[in-house]
Amino acid sequence: MSDLVETVDSPQRLACAAQQLREAVQQCEIVPQVVLELFEQWAAALDEPESREVPGVTFLRLWLRRSTLEPLVLRELGSDSLDGNWREDGRARLRAFPLGVIGHWPAGNIEIQPFLSLTCALLGGNGCLVRVPDKLADITRRVMKKLQQVDPGNLLTDRIFMASFDHSRMDLHEAMARSVDGAMIWGGAEAVSKVRALPFPHWARVVVFGPRLSVAAMDASAWSDCNQRSSWCRRIARDVWQFEQQACSSPQALFLERQNGCDPDQFTQSLRQAFEEENRLHPRQQIEPGLTSAICHARASWLLSDAAHRGSFPLSPDWTILVGEGADIPKPTQGRTLNVLLVDDLLEVISRFDGTVQTLGLAVNDAHREEALARAAGRHGVDRVARLGRMHVFGSPWDGVDLVRPMVRLVRHVRSQD
Amino acid sequence: MSDLAEIEQSVESLLTVPPYALPPGQRYETLLPLLKKELTYACDRNPGFRNYVEHWPVDFQSVDRIADLPYLPVGIFKANPPLSLVGADQVKRTLASSATTGQVPSRIVLDTATSKRMTKSVITIIKDFIGVARRPYLVIDTTENLRAQAELGARGAAIQGLASFASEVVCCLHHNQGADSCLDTEKLLRCATKWKNCEILAYGFTYVIWTQLVQPLLRQSITLDMPNIRVLHSGGWKRLEEESVSREAFIRGVATVFGCSEDRIFDFYGMVENIGVIYPDCQYGNKHVPAFAEVIVRNPCTLAPVEAGERGLIQVCSVLPTSFPGFLVLTEDMAEVIDCDECPCGRRGISFRFAGRAPKAEVRGCGNLETARHQHVSWSSAV
Repeated sequence: MSDLVETVDSPQRLACAAQQLREAVQQCEIVPQVVLELFEQWAAALDEPESREVPGVTFLRLWLRRSTLEPLVLRELGSDSLDGNWREDGRARLRAFPLGVIGHWPAGNIEIQPFLSLTCALLGGNGCLVRVPDKLADITRRVMKKLQQVDPGNLLTDRIFMASFDHSRMDLHEAMARSVDGAMIWGGAEAVSKVRALPFPHWARVVVFGPRLSVAAMDASAWSDCNQRSSWCRRIARDVWQFEQQACSSPQALFLERQNGCDPDQFTQSLRQAFEEENRLHPRQQIEPGLTSAICHARASWLLSDAAHRGSFPLSPDWTILVGEGADIPKPTQGRTLNVLLVDDLLEVISRFDGTVQTLGLAVNDAHREEALARAAGRHGVDRVARLGRMHVFGSPWDGVDLVRPMVRLVRHVRSQD
Repeated sequence: MSDLAEIEQSVESLLTVPPYALPPGQRYETLLPLLKKELTYACDRNPGFRNYVEHWPVDFQSVDRIADLPYLPVGIFKANPPLSLVGADQVKRTLASSATTGQVPSRIVLDTATSKRMTKSVITIIKDFIGVARRPYLVIDTTENLRAQAELGARGAAIQGLASFASEVVCCLHHNQGADSCLDTEKLLRCATKWKNCEILAYGFTYVIWTQLVQPLLRQSITLDMPNIRVLHSGGWKRLEEESVSREAFIRGVATVFGCSEDRIFDFYGMVENIGVIYPDCQYGNKHVPAFAEVIVRNPCTLAPVEAGERGLIQVCSVLPTSFPGFLVLTEDMAEVIDCDECPCGRRGISFRFAGRAPKAEVRGCGNLETARHQHVSWSSAV
């Protein structure tokens, strides 16, 4: 790897890079055990001041730990997969082999997403051709530099080609698609639709993550409990702050189940304090002017549309809480804008989910009640049910799909001696 | 005297002072209490507006800066029905913005009093730039936009707003058989001959002037001999930027076809939501704010006013409307503050330069569900 993120200008360069990756995969098999060891070292190397400045790198370090990824590999590829052994399956045996070269189209809003994506493919022994969004090129170089340091034999770095090119270069997107055996696509509706329509080979396995949105919900016993309230509010603030609320796992609305005698004003006051504190700890460094406009518009349109609507926000666009009633999810604004909606029954909210909700963040004191909500959510298209404060914790399955398994072929061997 | 009458009297008196002569301190002392009265009036007339103002992080009655008063984002004027402070029976005219294809236009309602004030304010501003004399008025548009209509677009409003300076009016575009407008070259040449040595006022939308006047005349190598023309244009640069036409090329092209010097071409910034206030460039390329208005440029990250030399989102303020709550409006346009009270042209107060439209929030995240599944999208905006 000469440049850790290469600016690419020709389709031929991408085809050539893919060919080199394919040769690397075919010439040298790499088993999950080795990959996990290098990931562990990579995580350690990222524990230094410059890397810690990269948004999300703390989570990336946790993700790269063996304690995170080994159980994932064992669950998805089987108990004997770590050392590349065959596993018995009746009269046959099974073993995972890489698909070949995996193309990665990460979303531009999550700094560490190129790495979350490529680590899944590397665990399957694949080569990775990664299209790095312009905005993430510098950050990606910094993180890749740490991998380079811990991989002197180039076991992993020879399997990675990071390409940077303008998003409008259709010829390069097409060349990349033609060169791969599988693809992991992440992003919003427009991006995903366009990438999925690229001319992938007929054998390529294409897995799409997103676009989705997420919501949070609390039953009255959770939000009205003055001993728990501030703690829950801090967790909600943490989920809202991550990724500017642009991730599919970001809560856009919080539904509070109503109960007689419980005052939602006290809860929203706590939530306001939690937002103020989170903002103090993690102030925004920059913002697109268009997002500022969208935030101002959300505040005004909410309060103008109904004199019963309430809201809380500072003069800056730092955060916004918009309070009202109703079981429908309002159009997301993002940018730390949370709609808080009172409802009579959380099941009513869930019954309206149409498959776009990825994660349901819950704070429910009664385990039986939570079981009912989780089942209803699953029936209505939700792929993750998480505790509030942990809505972004990346894991497998994601969007209801395994992360490593789709990027390997399970080869079945029935011995000829039998 | 009723609150409204008191407001109207204050606004009227502001319209009689020279528009660019008030020292900043005196301007704030005049505008701040008047804007507070107008906000109070609007709260009494519109419960939704009152709810918004009541949720503003600071009590507007206690603030001592215009910048701290509650403002509305410009997109809110796309609401249907339009935000109004008057009953339907009092609405004299509805103005719509020039939304491009597929966009929802902003709409504002005017009662008789507001409408008159708008006309008066535009005359006050334009007079300061071109003088008071009536002169031949060349409209680079079709006659349809000159007609009085109950619902009027931004082009029509601008064209009609300048008609007060006209001794006679000629529209040089006409509809061809395909219903598109095109240049009536013969008519234009006749005007050029007739008005050769006169002071002439011309107005058109920027992209209309370029596509329907400058380009056809350049193609035919026609140069008009109208050295005393003043060409005013507005409507924004987006479409020309899409065609890679720079401001310099535009000005050069207009000056070439009219046979005038480049300093006789004036770009002005304005919008229906801030109707009655326009911001022409002075001879130093800066925009200025009249006495009955104010401009605040806000840092997008903090929404605090920026200093000279910095860029941000433009907030326009105007005491003119009483039929809709357009007193304090945060636009989606960007500007750079040049200085305060220091422009060599002598106009007092803040001077600024337009810096383009703020790009729409570029949502690239996996949480972006805004696009309908069946909607066709262009590649360039997608990945």
